Amino acid sequence: MKKPDLKKLKEVDFKKAAKDFVYGKPHGERRLGDLYIPKTGLYKHREWRGIKDTMYYFNNIWLYNYGMIVRDLMVYGGGPKGAIQFLKGTWRYRWMGQTYLTVMHWFDRNLEGMRGEALRGSAWHFRGITSACLLQITGWFNRDLNIGGDAALRAKTIGHDETLWGGIFYPYTDQGIENIPLQMIPYFVTCHCNNHTVLNYIDASQAYGLPGDPCPMCQAEAGIFIEDDVPDSYVALITTNEACDGSVGTSVIQDWMINKPLFAMPQPMQFDDDSVLENCAKEIEGAWRFTEEQLGVEFHWDELVKRLEQQNELQRFEWEKWDVAANTNNYPINGVAQALYRIFQSQYGDRPLWHDVDKRVKKIMDKCVEEKINTFPMTRHRVIAWSCAPLYYSAWCTWAYNCWGLNTIINMDSLMFDMEIRTDSYENCLLDMAKYHEWAPMRRMAVGGLQHIFELWENMEKFNCDMVMMYDQLQCKGMQGVVGLFEDEFRARNIHAIWMPHALPDKRTVPRSQIRQIINDYMFTVMGEEPLDPSLLDFDDIDSW
Amino acid sequence: MKRKAKKKRTVGRFIKKTLRLGVLAYAGLFCVFYYDLDGKLLYYVVEPFLKNHFDNMERRDPTTVPYEQIDSEYM
Repeated sequence: MKKPDLKKLKEVDFKKAAKDFVYGKPHGERRLGDLYIPKTGLYKHREWRGIKDTMYYFNNIWLYNYGMIVRDLMVYGGGPKGAIQFLKGTWRYRWMGQTYLTVMHWFDRNLEGMRGEALRGSAWHFRGITSACLLQITGWFNRDLNIGGDAALRAKTIGHDETLWGGIFYPYTDQGIENIPLQMIPYFVTCHCNNHTVLNYIDASQAYGLPGDPCPMCQAEAGIFIEDDVPDSYVALITTNEACDGSVGTSVIQDWMINKPLFAMPQPMQFDDDSVLENCAKEIEGAWRFTEEQLGVEFHWDELVKRLEQQNELQRFEWEKWDVAANTNNYPINGVAQALYRIFQSQYGDRPLWHDVDKRVKKIMDKCVEEKINTFPMTRHRVIAWSCAPLYYSAWCTWAYNCWGLNTIINMDSLMFDMEIRTDSYENCLLDMAKYHEWAPMRRMAVGGLQHIFELWENMEKFNCDMVMMYDQLQCKGMQGVVGLFEDEFRARNIHAIWMPHALPDKRTVPRSQIRQIINDYMFTVMGEEPLDPSLLDFDDIDSW
Repeated sequence: MKRKAKKKRTVGRFIKKTLRLGVLAYAGLFCVFYYDLDGKLLYYVVEPFLKNHFDNMERRDPTTVPYEQIDSEYM
């Protein structure tokens, strides 16, 4: 047996080691990068955050969420039959089987280094997203004729593009109607959770002969249909041109391969024009007539008002959150949790689970404000993230805080649906719904005209940010057109901005390590700063989820 | 009296056993969590297995669906 090295043992500061064990290492000493197994992104062991936060993570995040996933499957799936449908779906669809089983690692990546109330508040957001995903997944599989689903349920279901707001279907929800976004689960969330899957769909599109230079989001969404990986869970569908003509191309593929009644509901580009708003309102009425004819339902005004009021309640809490984020250092939600929860919630529409999560987050946030808890104490710069984010590396915000103290306070997609909807009359309600529909993701700011993409300046001031993380989606022709204009403005306004190139879902174009390198270079050379955690500067996670 | 005491002892033993099993299960789960064993199982075993399954799955060719346009008026 090897003798213990007494010299080394003597050098150990036991008092410090005991303190680190109880409270966790302070930020500058954590060396989180040493925890990774090269290439995989797996951990040699998960982070020790001190007794209290490690046990919170183990009990209230890891165990709790595994348990709640089973609970959601049983409740949303309608008992054991739903669980069986879930297993069948997992075996049938790549986007399910290869992606979502890894969900707890998604939590890990995004919550690395978080402590105290920031850990708790952010984790609840991921719980909300996971639950909403399971609601959709069980919704797909229970109705899916490809795996022996319920035809009667399918007859009451309408599919729609993920960028079409779920609120369009509020007037019918009391009649057992379900609306399922076609790409939110098979495409959008997969890229965040496990970005291996989406590459199959991008490749399928290109192998079929479609060009490789349009937006890879549109390629991936078309690829899901080319690969025949779409459940047969709905009787009709509504598509949009959102966000660009690449998306229209996807709709053509969908229309062909789904071969079901389809209503196209465009979202106007120049939406500031009032006559465009009226036309958009007429299109919503057209979508209602289509839904009523296809699903045999009636328009229920009271149900629409009830659901919109509930949605307005969610919006009011979001404003409360923005207020705390903008004016204090007590905001207990990290950049990625803020971005993903908000885009999912505002796009999918009102559901009871959002209210449940918001109540819990409010409790945590109120505590932080009352006790003046500095939730991100190592913040060096308050960052606003602008334009469309890399879906395969949404966790960059967590990395940037741990490595450099860059705290992402708010992002563009959180701010797009910045409105309540009036319910005092049919006319006002319809016009507001049209406006909400027009302010969709990637439309209001990204391709909504110069004055809207330049809303950056006012939001930077409003949220007290001193730095911009400027996303540069290399295959977005719309955003490529304004790069020079932004460069000029950044210079004229003397703003520190880091351009982050990416290809939305496709990590092969700009790998995550390259994104980190760009930020590192800027922080070293332009800002002249040193990293908080040097172990995070350079590590290989090329094959990670 | 003897029967009651025996019953008490059996119940006590059962509770002790259950508690011991519970503690063991909890400790085991903590090891799975701390050493990221769930991640390793999914990464090295489950995902490659499912990937292989999906790569070799027989699929319908959706390009054989005839392209038809049904005109309807909703506006």
